[in-house]
Amino acid sequence: MKKVTVLALMTAILFISVNAEEKKVEVQKGIKMPYMAFSMKQGKGMYSTKGKCNMCHSWGYVLNQGAQSKKFWRKKVIKMITVFQAPIKNEDIDEVVEYLYANYGNGKEN
Amino acid sequence: MLRRDFFKHAALIAGSASVGSTAADADTTTHPIDNRKVADIAFPQKRPLITYSDRPPLLETPREIFANPITPNDLFFVRWHMPMIPTYINSHYFSIKIDGEVEKPLKISVDSLKRDFEPVEITSVLQCGGNSRSAFHPTPGGIQWGPGAMGCAKWKGARLKDVLAKAGLGKNASWIKFHGLEKPVYTKTDGFVRALELDKLHDTIIIAYEMNGEALPYLNGFPVRLILPGFYSDSWVKMLSNITVTDTKPKLHFMDHAYRVPDNACECETPDNLAAKTKPIEEMNVNSLIGYPTSGTRVKQGAKLIVRGVAFDGGHGIAKVEISTDGGTNWQKATLDDGIQGPYAYRSFRHTLKPAQTGELTIMTRATNTKGEIQPFAKDVKWNRGGYKYNGIDEVTVEVVS
Repeated sequence: MKKVTVLALMTAILFISVNAEEKKVEVQKGIKMPYMAFSMKQGKGMYSTKGKCNMCHSWGYVLNQGAQSKKFWRKKVIKMITVFQAPIKNEDIDEVVEYLYANYGNGKEN
Repeated sequence: MLRRDFFKHAALIAGSASVGSTAADADTTTHPIDNRKVADIAFPQKRPLITYSDRPPLLETPREIFANPITPNDLFFVRWHMPMIPTYINSHYFSIKIDGEVEKPLKISVDSLKRDFEPVEITSVLQCGGNSRSAFHPTPGGIQWGPGAMGCAKWKGARLKDVLAKAGLGKNASWIKFHGLEKPVYTKTDGFVRALELDKLHDTIIIAYEMNGEALPYLNGFPVRLILPGFYSDSWVKMLSNITVTDTKPKLHFMDHAYRVPDNACECETPDNLAAKTKPIEEMNVNSLIGYPTSGTRVKQGAKLIVRGVAFDGGHGIAKVEISTDGGTNWQKATLDDGIQGPYAYRSFRHTLKPAQTGELTIMTRATNTKGEIQPFAKDVKWNRGGYKYNGIDEVTVEVVS
């Protein structure tokens, strides 16, 4: 008799813990993506550029384009505005382009 | 590239700021940046991979994985275009909507896809059009991938043709648009939408719900993705949620401005003289990669060294893979596997060497397909502004010690 009670109790505990496990999964709702901090080069316009680019994507997406010309970076910034609706004001474009070119440039204007 | 530069490249990691700039002035194609280190953090369902971005996730498979003809799911490369990707999908409620120029618009659940359509299995290479982009100089825009933006898996799913037949194609149907669940931050923006001309629809295009015998990993497009064997991965839409048949060619940013090469015989151009006309990248060209050894490996003089790797093309099949240890003057045939994985898959090769002298030894591989197309030397790969379709002869440099 005692044995049966213990067994029932153990089964109950197992059942409760399985239920708790299921609940936890439901609460978590799927996968968690890691955050990676890609370092930015210090320079004029860094914070402004960081805010504008990181609104939509990681800094890694920028720096892994390789060293590029000033014309390239300007075209990219304009593409972000026209194609992807990045809320970058016209008067702020130069600052972002200058920062990108000064720190991730290839020394060529075009 | 000078040997010391090669090893300088080898030390680079994807998070470094100087990626792709070392040979920028050379204006010639080189080898892609090799041996980048994996990140110190793993993404969900993945082992740590070479990580270019976390949002959207951009992950590259390290070279040594290509010693095998199947790429494991947890090592398979990842490339998303949009930063907003659902992190939870209940596959019992998920469905693919099929509408547009069809007789009967449909919603097909994953269960129905598995139950109501003939299952098809196909082993196929999935390769980013920009794989090895870091080989091109001047540096084209886009992620400066090394050679691991590719993999080969066994996909199981339903034929796209069968799914479309169930909805019934309208008489004006001419293009098929595909859209997944990834979303841009600003809703006014075009999402990542791709399109296929109906004429190009064939039996091997499937909507896959299994990858290497398991559900697709989230980052590879759970619960279903489009599989287009032989084609670069730009149209292999992940988390496929919408199929819309149209009567005209749709205007789409990711069709009209991305994933295109010059529309000329060499698919090439120069930065000062860009081609006026371009075409989609589509069919993959012949390629091979050494999985073992990797550059920097130390091997014993006089001992057997078994070189292993994979070769593939757009589905014509690999005729031979050759190995050179003298800079590409003399070539020896490597042994190919039995080809049981089919024409769209990796064909694995192996070749035994006995390094006779100590010091550096460069091993090159070159694949030829059944059409007679052969990989060019890296320096002879012609430039294009998108840095697409690199297929230069691969090489690794090992150190032979006594």
